[in-house]
Amino acid sequence: MSNPIKVDIWSDVQCPWCYIGKRKFEAGASEFGGEVEVEYHSFELAPDTPVDFDGTPVDYLSQRKGLPIDQVEQMLERVTGIAKSVGLDYDYDHVHQTNTVISHELIHFAKSKGRQLEMKERLLDAYFVRGEHVGRIPDLVAIAVELGFDEAEVTEALESHRFLPDVKADVALAQEYGIQGVPFFVIDGKYGVSGAQEASTFANVLAQVQSERVV
Amino acid sequence: MDAATLPLPVIKLELLGDASAAACEGDSCAIPDHHLQAVVNRKLDEDDV
Repeated sequence: MSNPIKVDIWSDVQCPWCYIGKRKFEAGASEFGGEVEVEYHSFELAPDTPVDFDGTPVDYLSQRKGLPIDQVEQMLERVTGIAKSVGLDYDYDHVHQTNTVISHELIHFAKSKGRQLEMKERLLDAYFVRGEHVGRIPDLVAIAVELGFDEAEVTEALESHRFLPDVKADVALAQEYGIQGVPFFVIDGKYGVSGAQEASTFANVLAQVQSERVV
Repeated sequence: MDAATLPLPVIKLELLGDASAAACEGDSCAIPDHHLQAVVNRKLDEDDV
């Protein structure tokens, strides 16, 4: 009988380590080779960010952190280099800093259709690689339609904020787990793994969980 | 919110893996030292420096 290892992942669409960690986790799960069931959960890193933030991520980080522009640019250049090492072409020159709550609602909408993983990947790609806006309803609807979802249905879901309670429930559960940073992986509901670990670490953790099940 | 005022976890997890792995907390996405060294090493490999 199939009994996959359940991995619940808390992540935000505009978290650079979440996309890098996603790739590393996928590589680790592949290295592990066993059956793994993944479910993503919402986490808002900066819920007070306006949807139409007037500026670049450099401006945003500089203003929020009080850091000099050149220091922020250097930081993003380093993150871009690390992303490149896992096959992701981050394009910070075209990233739209925004509020991600509605993109999380869209991920929950996709989950209700059994297509959460596809939407999660598409939205991370939209934000970091394609330079698309992931905070506004029309932009998010366009992405959903491109994936084959019904335009009227997804528009209604986002405009009514039907899935907002699911987003907030994820955030509340993160608090119950004591999660302060993302990505954060909860494995079989009892083990926690924080951050963009190396693929081998994920593989080892999954193997350990599997071996404990056998005993 | 500082460490002293953070709510205690209700659900206890056993933490596994490298505790210093890169993560984002609030609007801060720090780059751990080992990642920085990896970037330097790669640039050296690519003769960029």
